Amino acid sequence: MTQHIVASYEKELRELGRKIAEMGGQVERLVADSMTALLKRDVSLAEKVIIADRKVNALQHEIENAAVTMIALRQPIADDLREVISSIRVAIDLERIADHAKNTAKRTLALDGEFMAQKQLRGVEHMGEIALEQLKAVLDAYTNRDDAKALAVWRRDGEIDAIYTSLFRELLTYMMEDPRSITLCTHLLFAAKNIERIGDHAQNIAETVHYLVVGEPVVEESLLPDNLNKKFGFSR
Amino acid sequence: MNALTVRATQDMPNTREKVAIRDLSFFYGENKALHNIDLTAYERQVSALIGPSGCGKSTLLRVLNRIYALYPNQRAEGEVWLDGENILDNSQDVNLLRAKVGMVFQKPTPFPMSIYENIAFGVRLYENLNRSEMDERVERALTRAALWDEVKDRLGTSALGLSGGQQQRLCIARTIAVKPEVILLDEPTSALDPISTAKVEQLIDELKRDFTIVIVTHNMQQAARVADRTAFFYLGKLIEEGPTSQMFSNPKDRRTLDYITGRFG
Repeated sequence: MTQHIVASYEKELRELGRKIAEMGGQVERLVADSMTALLKRDVSLAEKVIIADRKVNALQHEIENAAVTMIALRQPIADDLREVISSIRVAIDLERIADHAKNTAKRTLALDGEFMAQKQLRGVEHMGEIALEQLKAVLDAYTNRDDAKALAVWRRDGEIDAIYTSLFRELLTYMMEDPRSITLCTHLLFAAKNIERIGDHAQNIAETVHYLVVGEPVVEESLLPDNLNKKFGFSR
Repeated sequence: MNALTVRATQDMPNTREKVAIRDLSFFYGENKALHNIDLTAYERQVSALIGPSGCGKSTLLRVLNRIYALYPNQRAEGEVWLDGENILDNSQDVNLLRAKVGMVFQKPTPFPMSIYENIAFGVRLYENLNRSEMDERVERALTRAALWDEVKDRLGTSALGLSGGQQQRLCIARTIAVKPEVILLDEPTSALDPISTAKVEQLIDELKRDFTIVIVTHNMQQAARVADRTAFFYLGKLIEEGPTSQMFSNPKDRRTLDYITGRFG
């Protein structure tokens, strides 16, 4: 792409992109660590995650400030404006993802000393893997302005939601079978909910990437008025 | 009404064609400055022409009231329809055309006369008004140009004593006093300070209730603020034209995008 005539403007835009990449990398590691901490019952790693979340919050403020300053001083338009707005949106989603990783880490601390059966962890582990894949893929899509990849992430979120629903039933069954597992399973349920939310935020970022590249919001075919009417049996 | 029609009517509150430019080319001697332009200005809308210096946007403006005809070796080919009449036709009365299509230039151009006479002068060329009718016409034009309160006590003093911003609003008042249908603005605020610029922009917003306005501007944000539709010119060609919101958020042509975001060159 052609560069801006004003070199300092170009530099600021790139710096904004670099900060998002940095924040994305940190959040990715936070999510991975929070999963490892939960599965391996690693309390000190969980504590690290909780502390590292603060750095992510600080980065989000930095990005927001940089974006607001650019809007005020440069008056970006068209794709430049989308770039700046997108950076604010992505930073918000990343900050929320880090919060969910932190909350998962807190569950690890609460579970310290509790009995934990491996089979009960397997579903959560699987969800965590997919959520992490989604996060990686969507950050790649953002960095490379890859709309196709973003849309693939966007479509795959349903998978996480489905696993969450079945995991919910599974954990419920364990709790009914053996009331001693209620504490453990409840914590795992909350951890699973956190992961499910991470997936949702990855999906949000995918929407932002699509908006950034194409300039229009994602329109899901099944949400178009005609298809909704079909789904709910309305006729026009 | 479905969603699509709602959007279409919001984008285009008024779709009556006021000025229809069809296959227009313009020559300075041998030099072709405009290449086969097709463009429409809609009634009671503001159309902005943007583009780098020398792209032909001011030339196009000059065709719309045939002011180019004052110079030898300049000629236009094609058609420009104003209310169903081709204004490039030889039978067109140029003086009548210029009463219908007023123009305001980059630098304020007040006549070296009193404020009152600046406005009355043009009106007298076309109409025969008695004293009280003329007073009323002058007052209304100045009021509409948001200048009346500032000058009502000094109508007899020279217009040259006004500030730049006031002079420009006086020129706009002079233009609307002869009751034109189309107003051409050639970078009307490039010599004005931000406050005067804001006043002129506010004025444009009010004037479009009665007039069709075509504005040439180098200030991208100004086009974004005042225009309903924007056309981008480059090297004498119309590159892209559309609703302003779309042109400034998601232009279709790479060259438009590069220009408005400051990547040109």
